[in-house]
This record gives sequence, structure tokens and C-alpha cells, in this order.
Amino acid sequence: MNEQHPIGLTKGPGETPHEFTFVSPDQAQVLKVGEFVAYRARVDGRERAILARVTNRRPLRLYPDAFLADPNINPDDVAALVGYHQRGHELFELTATVIGYYDEELGDFINPRLPPHTGRPIYLAADEDLARVLTKKQPGEVGAAHIGSLLSREKDRVPIALDLRAITSTHLAIIASTGAGKSYLAAVLIEEMMKPNNRAAVLVVDPHGEYDTLAEMVNHEAFVERLPGDTLQPTYRPEIKIFKPGDVKVRASALTLSDLYYLLPNLSERMEYLLRRAYRDVRKQSTKDKGDPERWTAAELRIRLRQLGEGDGEDGEGDDRYAGTADALIWRLESVLDHSIIFDDFQHLNLTELFRPGRCSVLQLNEVDEREQQVMVATLLRRLFRARTQTVKGQVGEGDELYLPYPAFVLIEEAHRFAPASGDAVSTGILKQVLAEGRKFGVAVGLISQRPGKLDGDVLSQCNTQFILRIVNPVDQARVAESVETVGRDLLRELPALTKGQVIIAGEAVNTPVLCRVRRRHTRHGAETRDAPADWMRYFEPEEQGQRERETALPAEPRRRRRSKMFK
Amino acid sequence: MPLGKIIKSNSHTDYICQVYSPGEVETPPAREDYAFGTFVRVELGDGRWLVGIIYDTQLFNPDFGRLGPRLSPEPELAVFSPDYLNEKATLVGIAAVGMMDTAGNVVQGVPPLAASTDAPVERMTDDRIRAFHQGNPTPQLAYVPLLLAQSSPLVLPLLQAVIARLVAIFPDQANLLAVLQNDLAWKAQVGPLGGAQ
Repeated sequence: MNEQHPIGLTKGPGETPHEFTFVSPDQAQVLKVGEFVAYRARVDGRERAILARVTNRRPLRLYPDAFLADPNINPDDVAALVGYHQRGHELFELTATVIGYYDEELGDFINPRLPPHTGRPIYLAADEDLARVLTKKQPGEVGAAHIGSLLSREKDRVPIALDLRAITSTHLAIIASTGAGKSYLAAVLIEEMMKPNNRAAVLVVDPHGEYDTLAEMVNHEAFVERLPGDTLQPTYRPEIKIFKPGDVKVRASALTLSDLYYLLPNLSERMEYLLRRAYRDVRKQSTKDKGDPERWTAAELRIRLRQLGEGDGEDGEGDDRYAGTADALIWRLESVLDHSIIFDDFQHLNLTELFRPGRCSVLQLNEVDEREQQVMVATLLRRLFRARTQTVKGQVGEGDELYLPYPAFVLIEEAHRFAPASGDAVSTGILKQVLAEGRKFGVAVGLISQRPGKLDGDVLSQCNTQFILRIVNPVDQARVAESVETVGRDLLRELPALTKGQVIIAGEAVNTPVLCRVRRRHTRHGAETRDAPADWMRYFEPEEQGQRERETALPAEPRRRRRSKMFK
Repeated sequence: MPLGKIIKSNSHTDYICQVYSPGEVETPPAREDYAFGTFVRVELGDGRWLVGIIYDTQLFNPDFGRLGPRLSPEPELAVFSPDYLNEKATLVGIAAVGMMDTAGNVVQGVPPLAASTDAPVERMTDDRIRAFHQGNPTPQLAYVPLLLAQSSPLVLPLLQAVIARLVAIFPDQANLLAVLQNDLAWKAQVGPLGGAQ
């Protein structure tokens, strides 16, 4: 650590065993909350630089209120009047939490459990040291996601490069209020994943259709790798595939019974019974005819339902007491499966089309019903998880539909829709399974939500890297505090005060929680807020008015020829 | 204007001055000359003076409490017992708040030197008060904390009187002085009745 200029002196212990206080005039005003300082101590016979984070700042010398009585009078002048002429009278007591010394071998911090002695000098941690120890990776390395710089230092002085390996094995969550910049941050993260040093297989579930600008990556030099001296032929260029609503289909036969129940809410007990029987029968028939229980079609399910309604079942021939129920069920099934843009009898999610190293697939779901979105995500995750499990276990091979020989990352926007705290979404179960077991099989998810209070607590707590932007809502703050134990209370206190583009990063991808300033995107941001007043004003512009008049005008009446008087 | 002479001290900064009575000097001081809050200077010699403020007045009367009759009637006292008349005196308390010399050097606060007994005390003119308080750019009242540290109930009224005097001497600094003046007024007038400080 840079020890040329002490910035303060240790006062004594803090409230907890890991805290200490120090006093500093801090005339340069660098000791902000979240800033990193260091002191030296002997640990195991070796002198170590111990890193600590400032968690509180309290002024020790304040002018009396009376000195501040006249807004036109400088309180320094009043102090001078009564004989106080010292410059820089301010003095602060700062509380710092010990993080520890960085052990190069372990690649992590070790808390020495030794607070500094009173009177010991405290130093501002040097930029280069922080860049080395705060995160596990350096920008540009394989597996590094350079998403910004340390907030308490000048822009770009201390780069924050996250460990993508940790993110893609133990999941991440991006939590923020509306407008705090979560989509922006997610896009920066995707950009980093698609750079030549990472080349990830990423799928973005985009319910608002705001990630299409990521397509600009393809032609951006930051994402292209070329051989030295070869300016024409790149050796790597990311692929961005935008799947519009309806481009990706879920084969109806991939739906589970739970999915069907979920798509057809409020079924009567008779309907549930009938559907269960028909579902079981078509799967059995599909196995018999096609060797796969998931090869039935929606039409076959309807036919089977009608047969059951007409008494063609185990209960006996000619029993038509289910006829009305079957008709109602068939009608509801038709309205859900046949009129939906996402379900199909034959087309199916092609996993290798969606997931491929160096490819970012954006699944736009902005015209899809919310329940269908949930079923789609549930089916997708289920299929992805099954594919990875079977591939890792060697149960499938090249050419198999479920063969996916590389890890995949799925980023889910509006995650509270897919794993709500109320727990009634069909996608919650598979999400929990992926969060719990995905690590072993290389399936990782990133959840983005503006309402952590509405997000399932278990789901949130299993995302081991957290990006927390500004959160004002107290319910959401409380949910974050209870689900995200790696972030200290001192940092959580900062949540309402964070501004756009400032993020607290904690968890597996960093060595210690950091306050980060998100870097600028290489691509344009797609989630701009609509400027309604400007649109309203445009309505009255002469060009717009003229256009409207032309569009709404009645066709001109053809001129009548004056008839000749001769034929009158 | 000569006021009297130092006859006693209670501490390094607290002196008692006996005011000249009629007959001691050609023009004895009037009551206004040794009023509460008056700036005085006490001669130290070698062109140096202590600067003080009158903060208290006591009347000394050795006859008080004597119940027996005097042999001489009142009009004849000056003839038969002139020393008795001289024993009655007006004493003023002076709080030393600094030092100054003829070269214009000023020390505000606890003066390093002490006055001696019988040192002459005189009332300071406005010019000398200005010279004692002149600062750059604002006037200096560095002795205010010293006075506020005293526990006497007269301290706040004393400082109010001092600042009122300085406002008259430094009219262009009235706004700055008003900050102190308002605070002292609040503490002196409203504070004792329960006003939050």
C-alpha cells in the first residue's frame, strides 16, 4: 500500500470487533463513505498492509448554530472575530471496517482480527493496489468483465473487472428501482461477456424488447478480434440474434401437466381430472407410436379429450357424463394453444440455435401474454437444464436434440414475473432448481428486477453475485437486506443515495463489496424513457397536421362534365 | 481621563481599582466615566498598558454597621476626621482582556504581564478602543471566550455592553457584530426563561 502520506491517526476501537475509528482533517475531502484505507500490522511475523473500508464519517468540529445565523456572513469571519484564525479547522472521526490483508496465494482477503493501535497512521489505499486486490481479475483477461471503475476514486483510476467464472457458475442478480440503470448495467455485462476475451453463450429474456441495440456489437471494433497485421478478416466477431415475438416456438408436447394447468387457470376438478387423463394417454400413445412421450400434438390431445367426453375410457363405454366438461376444456385449450404465437405442434426451441459460444440471443417477449411468458421461460430453462445435465453425464451425444456441450448463461429481465414472492408462477420451480444445481452443469442465470420485494426470497438469496443500484422503496430495501448478506449495512445505507449508473457489487465475483461507477456502453442504450410532452407538441406541428389532414380527407369528387344541351 | 488606581487583584486578570474621590485629583471622574462595560487601561510602565473592562462596582464604607454615635457632627468631619472621609471609596472591578503599547502592538486575551499596586487606571478613548480591536479585515474580540468562561451572571450583560460600544466604533462591521450580539441577547434574555440555546 502507498504509505507516503498518512491521512489520519487511529483513535480507538469501534462498536464491533472489526471496526476501528480514526481521526483525520481530510482537507482534500477524499475520505468518503465506501473509501478504502489501510494500516500496517505484523501478522504471523510478517508486516502486512491491512485494508479497511470507511463506513461512517462524523465531523468533530462544527461551528455553533449562532455563527450560522446570518446567511450573508461567513461563519469563518465570525470565528475570526472571536480570535479563531486557524485555517482548515475541520476534523472528522471516521469509522472503518477491517477487510483484511490480501493473500496472493488464496486470492482472497484474510481478516487478521487485529485492529490498529491508537495513534497508528492510516493511509489512503493506492489505486494500483486496489485494482489488484478488490477483484479477482484484471481487465482484458479471459473471464474478466470490466464493468466500470471504483466510485470513490477518479473515473477509470481503479477498474472493476468481475470474475465471470463466478458469475456464470453461481448466478447473479441486478436489483434497482425504475430508472436507476439496471438495463444499462445488464447491457454492459452482456457486452463484456461477448468480447473476444470471453465469447459467452448468452440468452437474454427481454419482456420489453429493449435489448435490440446490442446488435450493434457485431460491427463494433471493441468486440472484434483480428490477427496482428490482418485488418480484413476477423478471427472473432460476436453474433447477435434477436428473436422477435413468435420467432421462437414452444412445442405443445413439451408442456408439463403443471404448465397446462397454469395456462388454463381456475379449472374445475372434473376438468383437471379429464385433462390429466387425456395428457397421460397422449404421452403413452406418443411413446408407443413415436418412441418419445413428447411427440404428441395439440390436436391429438383435443381428440383424446373428445373421446373421453364421449365415454371412450377405462370407466366404460357410452358414459357421456364428461361430454360438457370435455367440450369446455377443448374450447379453452384451443383458445390458449391454437391462438398463441408461441406454441406450435412441431417447431421447438432449438437449443443450439439459442445457445452457442460467441452468440447473444435476445428473446423478445413484448407481445406475449404474461402467463405464456412464464411457461415459455419455464420450458426453456427446463429444456436447457435437461440438455446440460444429460450432456455432462454423457447420456446424449453429437446429433441429439438435447446435446449442448458448453455452459450457457440466461439473463432474465423482470425476474419478479418469473419467480414472484407469491410463488404461483410456473417458472419458479425450475428457476430454483437451476439456481441450486446449475453450478454443476454449467447453467447460470442472471435475474434483473426492479421489485426485489416481489421477488421470491429464496431465488434472490441464491444469486451469489449481487448488483444493487439505487433502491428507494423501504420494502425493497428490507428484502435486499435480508436476502443479500454479503453486503454490509453500511453499504445498504447508501442505496437511496446512489445516482444513476452507480452500483454496489457484492458476492462471489468480487473479493469485497465495492461501490462502482458503471462504464459507458459501447452500444446505444435501447431502454430510453419516452418523452411524452415532446410527442404531444409534435402533434401540433404543421407537417404532422398536414399529414393527418391528408390521411383523413375524403376522396375528391370527380368533376362532372357539363352535359351538352343537345341531350338535355 | 484618570479614573483611579489599582489597589488589589483577585487573579491574573481580575483587578480592583479605587476610583479617585473628590480632593484626590483635580477633576474627579464622573459616574459615567466608570460605568459598567467601560474600557480602561492600566499603566504597566515602558509605554505598555493592560486593557481591561469594568465589570463590577462596589461601594466601600467603613462606617456601615457601626451603630454608636460619632463625636463630631457631620459638617465638622472634614475638619476633625478628614481621614474618615477618605476611607469611603468606590471600587470597580476590572477584567483584564489584553495588552497594548505605544508602538501599536496588541495582545488580546490573557495578558502576559500583571499590573502593580497603585498603577494608574484611565478610561480609554474611542481611538484607543479602535486601535485595540483593529483587525484585518474584521475587528478582533479574541477575549470574548475568556469572558464567557467566567461564571458570573454579569458576563452576558457585560459582553452586550461591549459589543454595543464596538458597533458604534465600527459601524461598517455592524452586520458581523450583530451575529454575536444577537446570540448574546438570546442567551441573556431568552435563555434563562427556557429558550433552547
